[in-house]
Amino acid sequence: MGRSFGTAEFLFLLRAIPSTLLLSIGALAGGGIVGLLIAILRITPSRPLRWLATGYIGLFQGTPVLMQLFVTYYGLAVLFKIQVDAWPAVLLAFSLYSGAFLGEIWRGSIEAIPRAQWEAAECLSLSFPKQLWYVILPQAGRISIPPTVGFAVQLIKNTSIAAIIGFVELTRAGQLMTNATFEPMIVYPIVAALYFILCWLLSLLAQTLERRIDAALGIKQNF
Amino acid sequence: MNYIFQFNVVWDHLPELLQGALLTIQLSATAMVLGLCVAVVCAYGKSAGPRPVRWLVAAYIELIRNTPFLVQIFIFYFSLPVIGIRLTANTAALVAMTVNLGAYASEIVRAGIEAIPHGQVEAARALGLKRLHIFRFIIIFPALKTVYPALASQFILLMLSSSVVSTISAVELTAITNSLASTTFRSFEFYFVATGLYLAMALGFRAGLSAIYWAVFQHGRAA
Amino acid sequence: MKIGLRLVILAMLVAMPATLVAPPVRAESTLDKILKEKKIRVAIDVGNPPFGILDKEGQPDGSDVAVARQMAKDMGVELEFVQVPSTGRIPALLAGRADVTIASISVTTDRAKTVMYCNPNGALQIVIFGPRRVAINTPADLVGKRIGITRATLEEATVPKMAPQGTNIVWFDDISATIQAMLSGQVDAVAMTSFAGKTVADGNPDKQIETKLPVTTAFYGPIVRPGDFELRQWINTWLFLNNQNGTLASLYKKYTGLDLPPLPVF
Repeated sequence: MGRSFGTAEFLFLLRAIPSTLLLSIGALAGGGIVGLLIAILRITPSRPLRWLATGYIGLFQGTPVLMQLFVTYYGLAVLFKIQVDAWPAVLLAFSLYSGAFLGEIWRGSIEAIPRAQWEAAECLSLSFPKQLWYVILPQAGRISIPPTVGFAVQLIKNTSIAAIIGFVELTRAGQLMTNATFEPMIVYPIVAALYFILCWLLSLLAQTLERRIDAALGIKQNF
Repeated sequence: MNYIFQFNVVWDHLPELLQGALLTIQLSATAMVLGLCVAVVCAYGKSAGPRPVRWLVAAYIELIRNTPFLVQIFIFYFSLPVIGIRLTANTAALVAMTVNLGAYASEIVRAGIEAIPHGQVEAARALGLKRLHIFRFIIIFPALKTVYPALASQFILLMLSSSVVSTISAVELTAITNSLASTTFRSFEFYFVATGLYLAMALGFRAGLSAIYWAVFQHGRAA
Repeated sequence: MKIGLRLVILAMLVAMPATLVAPPVRAESTLDKILKEKKIRVAIDVGNPPFGILDKEGQPDGSDVAVARQMAKDMGVELEFVQVPSTGRIPALLAGRADVTIASISVTTDRAKTVMYCNPNGALQIVIFGPRRVAINTPADLVGKRIGITRATLEEATVPKMAPQGTNIVWFDDISATIQAMLSGQVDAVAMTSFAGKTVADGNPDKQIETKLPVTTAFYGPIVRPGDFELRQWINTWLFLNNQNGTLASLYKKYTGLDLPPLPVF
């Protein structure tokens, strides 16, 4: 204890980055499935289904991520009597959270598709599911890539909250290193810098994609 | 394994939870006001200021937007004292929340400012209005009206993210919930109820912000 | 054949009473499950020196961690650590995430309402300590000072009782935050185990951390879920044997530098 911050400590921080990334990717994958479901529910003709989806989104957008994490972590085993470790609980919580936001993003993308596309698909006598699959979703998917990548950046930052329940990712690694070295002025700014590198690169990617897609869709740019 | 829910323990402590909710509301409302001021200054600086100012504001925004809020509050509370700046927990929380909101909100406000047709400003100058009046009535007021929904969403996000300031011992709803949960060992029940309180506050803030919109931007004005 | 049939009937008549006195089938206990799966999950807190720390390679170490390792070895099962923060030591056990928690959980009657204690495997002292420049010599000196304590610990239960009105108690989620708060001057003093205090003092000689006031002394022990009597009994047996042969004392001394006091049993 009380050792100075050196290479070994920096490597400890670096070794926590895969956990952060893995959690983010896993939550995006899980949340992607949920989000797709939610987005489709939001545009179905059935009103109760729409309300269900809206309620789900409202719940996850109207409560803190930390609370969602606590309730999932402590509640999963209690409610469903399943014994889960930290990874599945955290992954589930972040997937449900991502699902709500991705659902909203993708619904927006779907609704941005001109009505004419729907009508044309109907004229081709495609059923609703087929309209979605062959005509609408491919186009909506392209539009949704920039905001989705933007959300991915948010997600990477939000994984830091898992540190509060002791899950070891980059922020928790920072706490543990601060405790070992007693040098918060060195450790935390380095942790911030590591997040910055991860997020900024991803943000640049999002901006580049946005520009490319805007150009493809013929939208005038304001740069 | 059987778990017997004991929500009655939570109801016994409801006054303390409500006290925590009040503290959250106070902290968030103050940060919203201060953060909005920072945002307006930064937005104006980035859109109309000299190049060093534009660069400085851009750097501030990118720094805040690409690092997690949790790491930011750790730096404000644990790291700054090393260089002599010691903030109390609640002050550090307020400062961090203001700085954080300022960065996100300034981009929103800037979008609103840049949406004002330049003809408006030219006409105002032709009419001999003073610079400050131009800024107040022609630029900021319409800009805020336009971006109000996005700002309101950002405010609610701020209130929800206030839950992580409990980690630096600031006193608000999550901190009080943590203490109650750890002394009664009824973690799930307490976090469940606290989540409900946050949801109620989010809905309340949305209603309150809508009322403010009506009072400031619509009451007694031409549409 | 007549003789064969008679033999069969005779055999059945003999066997029948035997089935009546066969032992009843017992429901599977946690101990049975651990032995069947050949794996025990132990909740530990690696932010709590010297009971649980992370060594240079980032692996769990500490007096309680060492006890857990020895116990799993003697049980002949694989050991899986469930790392939890101080506030998660009991919830992780109750939620089924761990079979036993070995994380210096001091014996208190409040905790005994929700968990079952095994016999103690060590003792600790809660003290208030802080930098030399902060003057705290009697409990009355605490008035107006900011005292940092960690949630879900013995100090959380005891310090508010002995601190007079006017003491500003500040709560943190885990010990590392509490330690950081004191080192950065955010709180005037903290309350935690004397061992943690010694670790902090040794690691920061320039800050001149010293003990100010004792709060309480307590024994700590492993905890299991209510109803896991078989597991508790096995652990108690193991503790008895390893107390007798000096293993517990040597592990304790290795990490705390102190002699293990005589351990009481329930």
